Amino acid sequence: MENKFKSGKTENNIFDYVIIGNSAAGLSAVSSIRMADKKGSILVLTHEESLNYSKPLITYYLAGKIKSDDMYFKDKDFYEENKVLLKSGMNILKIDYENKAVITDTNAGFIYGKLLLANGGIPIIPKIEISDSNRSSASPKNEIKDIPGIFTFTNLQDARKIKDYIAGNDVKEVLILGGGLIGLKSAEAFLDLGIKVRIIELSDRILSASFDKQASAIIEDELEKKGSRIYTQNTINKIFVKNGRFDGIELKSGEKINSSLLIMAIGVIPDLSIIKNSDSSTGKDESGHIKSNRGILVDEHMQTSIKDIYAAGDVTESFNSVTGNKASIAIWPLAVRQGDIAGANMAGGNKVYDGGYFMNSVEILHIPTISIGVTNVSGDMEEGIEIIKEYKPEKKYYKKIVIHDNKIIGIILLGNIDRAGIYNGLIRNKVDVSNIKDNLIKEDFGIIQLPSDYKKHLVVGDGIEV
Amino acid sequence: MKKIYIKEEYCIACRLCEIYCQVKHSKSKKILKAFKNETDMLSRVLVEEIGYNSFAIQCRHCEDAPCVEACISGAMQKNKNTGVVTCDEKKCVGCWMCIMTCPYGVIKRNLSEKKVASKCDLCGDEEYPVCVRNCPNEALQFKDI
Repeated sequence: MENKFKSGKTENNIFDYVIIGNSAAGLSAVSSIRMADKKGSILVLTHEESLNYSKPLITYYLAGKIKSDDMYFKDKDFYEENKVLLKSGMNILKIDYENKAVITDTNAGFIYGKLLLANGGIPIIPKIEISDSNRSSASPKNEIKDIPGIFTFTNLQDARKIKDYIAGNDVKEVLILGGGLIGLKSAEAFLDLGIKVRIIELSDRILSASFDKQASAIIEDELEKKGSRIYTQNTINKIFVKNGRFDGIELKSGEKINSSLLIMAIGVIPDLSIIKNSDSSTGKDESGHIKSNRGILVDEHMQTSIKDIYAAGDVTESFNSVTGNKASIAIWPLAVRQGDIAGANMAGGNKVYDGGYFMNSVEILHIPTISIGVTNVSGDMEEGIEIIKEYKPEKKYYKKIVIHDNKIIGIILLGNIDRAGIYNGLIRNKVDVSNIKDNLIKEDFGIIQLPSDYKKHLVVGDGIEV
Repeated sequence: MKKIYIKEEYCIACRLCEIYCQVKHSKSKKILKAFKNETDMLSRVLVEEIGYNSFAIQCRHCEDAPCVEACISGAMQKNKNTGVVTCDEKKCVGCWMCIMTCPYGVIKRNLSEKKVASKCDLCGDEEYPVCVRNCPNEALQFKDI
């Protein structure tokens, strides 16, 4: 193939496998490619500067629980051991489908045999009116993300900036826009630092996607008892800027709040910039494009609508095995699993993704919580649903099990999360729980109460004789 | 790899495995000192019991370990050579993703100092795990798979 790119020699720019993204999905794919193909050349491209680090650790870094040098999840030998070339600081602009190449913003090109898009998500930044009390005509146009005191919080760079800002500005209280997972994980870190939080949430309660009303209420009460505030069914109407810095907000409800720090934590969306740029630069009709919806659509092999191009992790929209729909579920374990499956198939294997579902673990003010699958059922879904729960708000304890068609499709555990994984196993394996329903809610629920068939399935080859 | 086999029919729920596990993973390694002075006495093997039915269960060191897949810090690792799954407590941040995904429910929260996940390490420095060695009925056995 003729090399039409500026940088380097042809042979240096041709790889059997090119992976965009140096995080959970990308590096998991590296491991599984190497298991199947010891020789093929692998290139990992990332726009970030560091070797690799775990994005979910940024809130723990902010809280001072881990140093930035310790945030790697694959050690330094990983790249050498797996004979991987890592190129950091690479902004990938687009894919040249015809020449099977990825092109950077400096017009460097890398030719791939198989390509994996594992470039993750980007934070949502809403459009909000900015009121700048002393903005002169000479000052450049304000962008929310450029205002000192306003931050998104999805990568290490964000975390470093927030940390520096807190240290330099004696921050005692923080505004967090968004009471979902990112908002609450951020709140967890700020509270650990002794900084009070004010959470602004559009829906009627926090963690509305993963909790039900009762679970949200326990956490909300605890937050408010400890001096934090939650503004539900509310959002920011106006951002105030004074002397070039963030100075406060006006809520939809009309209330004004002075503040020096605002975290934009509405959520992330799959980063579709690469495929959008690729589409607009080809003359082809839509059939030659990578199909996407909210995220990149993938089949059960994690292949996109174009042969030899795969996608994994937060950038995808993939099969939700609990709801049966396609969904973008941006969580670490699924990114790892999807990367593993994509890698295996890129290396010629035939590994199938059986789907995933939402799950997460958040600890707020020493209350551990885990929520998995569908936890809040309403409307059409209510038919055939059975809910078992035990609610003890005074003890900060809640357990809820959602059953559909005799199979668990979701749980909430709050206060005691010790054996959460057993329920997760029942959800993943779609185990019929009709004979053990009475036991599910017990605080000492364990392996011993599981249906014997499943117990056998669980331990095959691993040595329990049941 | 060598794994711990569970022989349910021989278990009498004496819980000696739990005691020895706690002492083995204590600071002092002395049974009285450990139980009287140490606050983080967590057994990594768990006896489950209903009536006459009981067994002891600990980490199965899964082939495709969900806890390793879910670990956000790289603390939970499966050793490529030995197959043993261990949690590097220095790297662990206590996010409990492993607890959320372990289908056996055998990972525990250790809250005594820095919050970390605590699990069976097969007593790597011993010839036999202490739960196996001290089981009076051979209800736990350490054998090659």
